[in-house]
Amino acid sequence: MRLKRFLQITLGIVTSVGGFLEIGSITTAVQAGAVFGYQLLWAILLGTICLIFLVEMSGRLSAVSKHTIVDATRDRFGFPFFAIILVGMVLVSFLVLVAEIGGIALSLQILTGIGFPWWAIPVSVGVWLLIWKGTFSLIENGVCILGLVTISFVVAAIKLHPDWSSVATGFLTTVPHANKTRYGFIAVSILGASISPYLMYFYSSGAIEEKWDESYLPINRVIATIGMSFGGVLSMCVLVVAALALRPRGLDGGKFEQGALMMTTALPKWGFYLFAASMLIACLGAALEISLAIAYFFAQGFGWNWSENHEPAKDARFCFVYTIIILLAAVPLLLAFDPIRITIVSMALTSAALPLAIIPFLFLMNDPQYLGKHRNGWIANTVVAVIILMSFVLAVISIPLEIAGG
Amino acid sequence: MADMDLVRDVLDKQLIDREGGPMGRADGLVMHYGEKSQPRITHIEMGGATLSARLHPVFERVWRRFARMWGPGRVEPVRIPWSRVKTIGRDIKLDVAAAESGALAWELWIARHIIERIPGSGRHERHRGD
Repeated sequence: MRLKRFLQITLGIVTSVGGFLEIGSITTAVQAGAVFGYQLLWAILLGTICLIFLVEMSGRLSAVSKHTIVDATRDRFGFPFFAIILVGMVLVSFLVLVAEIGGIALSLQILTGIGFPWWAIPVSVGVWLLIWKGTFSLIENGVCILGLVTISFVVAAIKLHPDWSSVATGFLTTVPHANKTRYGFIAVSILGASISPYLMYFYSSGAIEEKWDESYLPINRVIATIGMSFGGVLSMCVLVVAALALRPRGLDGGKFEQGALMMTTALPKWGFYLFAASMLIACLGAALEISLAIAYFFAQGFGWNWSENHEPAKDARFCFVYTIIILLAAVPLLLAFDPIRITIVSMALTSAALPLAIIPFLFLMNDPQYLGKHRNGWIANTVVAVIILMSFVLAVISIPLEIAGG
Repeated sequence: MADMDLVRDVLDKQLIDREGGPMGRADGLVMHYGEKSQPRITHIEMGGATLSARLHPVFERVWRRFARMWGPGRVEPVRIPWSRVKTIGRDIKLDVAAAESGALAWELWIARHIIERIPGSGRHERHRGD
């Protein structure tokens, strides 16, 4: 039993590799490092702290109330309000899914030389097949083990010998003298990339699939902290590598190939392949998670049968939703929309949509009907509310400015 | 027995059938009132028509048109008599067989027409594992 509980940490790591470290956090960290050096490290730190709290809450809600977040939201707030959240979250998550499938396609493009639009269909069919035939633990353990390749970002950061004291100054929030709009916009995108609501839906559904009860609360806290810190540290290393490898060359990190370039600078022999493999695994993990999260959202919200462990014929509507969503996600890529642009836009939109997902969630987390004595304390409430409102305000200011600035 | 708040404790809750399977949510509540009798809750209602009507009449019209053209041909909401309610707690447990109630009409239609036609849906393995 002990060992089994210990293995549950894999849920945290997979949630982290798939949900935290994905095309969003990698792309935004590369851009931040390339353009602003270490100056935006604080945004990753803030996002990570907020996410640790939110993931812990998601697990706690499921373990104590036996409700998933979506389930409890419909239950507590009624259908009309639920419908608004459903539309908002599904739209944003869908855009992120397009970006993730694009990330896999771009990795295959740099590995094979065949353009990413050609990969759109094979990749989405592959993602679909893994969900269709795989079980929850197969997805979980597979992504978890393969995801260890992303540690190469840590190795790369150390190999470039950063000046650690100047890295440390990046954790202090500073406003640059020039390029303020860009700075604000990248900060918003980083927050949106770190605090992904779909990750919470995935995690809370996972806790129900694995039949958590109150005895899981301590391990839940460990999973949330270790898992999300793991993702956060990896993102920070990506930023550090970009700051050291791309910034001196005057590159802005806006191209996928620059990611490969920065890894080759640090690790000349393997850097290229490690970058491609890391992107591939991280985006694949995220694509699986988002597709499931969207299907969970519908199934739980409407009270259908749902389980990733059932044969598809047993939960037809659940399977129908992810099948349609994954197929649709291939369309923008077939039309050769740039996945990196889709990523940046979807991350900023996630930031702007955060209050819609998080504020009702905070209400739930303070409701004694659901959580009894395990409801939120004031620290958790304050930390999450402040960070969410901050990223929302930043998003509302910087998105129009970014659009106006081109 | 204690009071129950219909909106807080009943509406939108998960419905569980006799076998313990999820069969939708309490999308609506139906109250009957006659000339002389006291008004009383008679049914739990579920289905797209009830849900869309809770948003806006336009949505209901669109849904009804869609459901007539496509799907299992079930337009009217499913009504579960209140007498079939066993317990109301975290979920609502019903003394009803989901498949016979009509609540799974869409589930079964999508299973038959789409999902089971895709290879590997587990349609043939289904009885072995149970």
